[in-house]
Amino acid sequence: MSAMNVQCSDRERIFLDGTGEEWAALEAHAARCASCRAEVDAWKALSRTASELHEEWDSAWLWPRIERALVEDSARRASSWWARLPGGFRLAPLGWQIAAAVLLLAALTAASFLLFLDRPVPPGDEALLKDQAVREVQRAEADYERAIDALDARARPQLENASTPLVASYREKLQVLDSAIAELKSEARMNPANGHLRRQLLAMYREKQDTLEQVLEAKP
Amino acid sequence: MGTAGVALPWARISCELRREERRVEREEDSPAVSAPPREGSNEDALLARACQSGDLRAFERLYRLHGARMKSVARNLLGTTSDAEDAVQETFLKIQRGIGHFRGQSSFATWSFRILINTCYDARRSRLRKKEVAQEEPEESLRPEPRAPSAHPTLRIALERALERLTRHQRDVFLLYEVEGFRHSEIAGVLDISETASKNTLFQAKKNLRQMLEAPRSREREAG
Repeated sequence: MSAMNVQCSDRERIFLDGTGEEWAALEAHAARCASCRAEVDAWKALSRTASELHEEWDSAWLWPRIERALVEDSARRASSWWARLPGGFRLAPLGWQIAAAVLLLAALTAASFLLFLDRPVPPGDEALLKDQAVREVQRAEADYERAIDALDARARPQLENASTPLVASYREKLQVLDSAIAELKSEARMNPANGHLRRQLLAMYREKQDTLEQVLEAKP
Repeated sequence: MGTAGVALPWARISCELRREERRVEREEDSPAVSAPPREGSNEDALLARACQSGDLRAFERLYRLHGARMKSVARNLLGTTSDAEDAVQETFLKIQRGIGHFRGQSSFATWSFRILINTCYDARRSRLRKKEVAQEEPEESLRPEPRAPSAHPTLRIALERALERLTRHQRDVFLLYEVEGFRHSEIAGVLDISETASKNTLFQAKKNLRQMLEAPRSREREAG
């Protein structure tokens, strides 16, 4: 098939990085050369045996376990992230970038305070924008929560009479989500303007919504 | 379903990902073995973005796509299925924690496999430390689990033992290429080496394995 002329000395180079054509020429040569035949056979046997080391097994419960761990870890990190901030005394573990950002923010705040110190400020206006934004988020959040509660009420009978392992797994996941939501809500109550906590909370609500939808779609 | 019309920042990404998921499912002809990660695919980039936004469905998709191969890689590095599953779980936690630092220099799947391999070596080191502390522990408990029957059981057992005697680098390249079917370009991304280095390392690994596996047979022949 190939006009390529392969010698015993080419063997290792072909083993290293041979093209398909070079391999075919080596095979043709090995048909006439006992030492190359033995080497080619051994080389191929190694690859054949190696492919038997690939193993697949069923572990249907592994993804639910990973998912729970991801939800718990996410909730834990969201709360510990905030817990480090208020004191401001433990910035070192957060990395020099965050420490630098905090210092810059403090410097800017101090500068603007000095610049606007003399200007009269209408009473009650200082935190108006921030408070308004927080109130809007809280309102949207409450609406969203009510909608999810309605969804929860519809899925509840199916969850309470969990007849399949799938529904039982959904129920367990919802318990984890509820506990993460409760934890985040209590953090958010203490720090209402923390956007990071709000986003984490929304992610949990969204996951709960998706899970409840899956429960309702699942066959009883 | 009623969601009070609250638009969530990641909803668009999730929908996009689900559309892509359906397209991929149509195109896939239900392969028995999951495909190795391919560089630069659209789904890979979508997955990375969705995981960055905290979408658990994206993590699930990553698991469905690469979980089987992740478990197999971990099983070959750690020796037991339960350790392999723990390593895969730990890998997903590390992906979630580190996704903010993923900048897309390699494919998302390649980056995930790199985390998996490092996690497996962390587990090996921690097991070694425990073994050193509890010297009285019987060696039996540290032996790899028996595997499913194969065409060449003796050769396979010999190969498993020989693999342990390779350098870490050679073992990783051999496992990824010969056992898991990765391409050299993908191995280069996972192990942060060049493609040429991957080819050279594989060649050296196979030469060493060949010698290790040949030696007992030569002794047998001489004895006979």
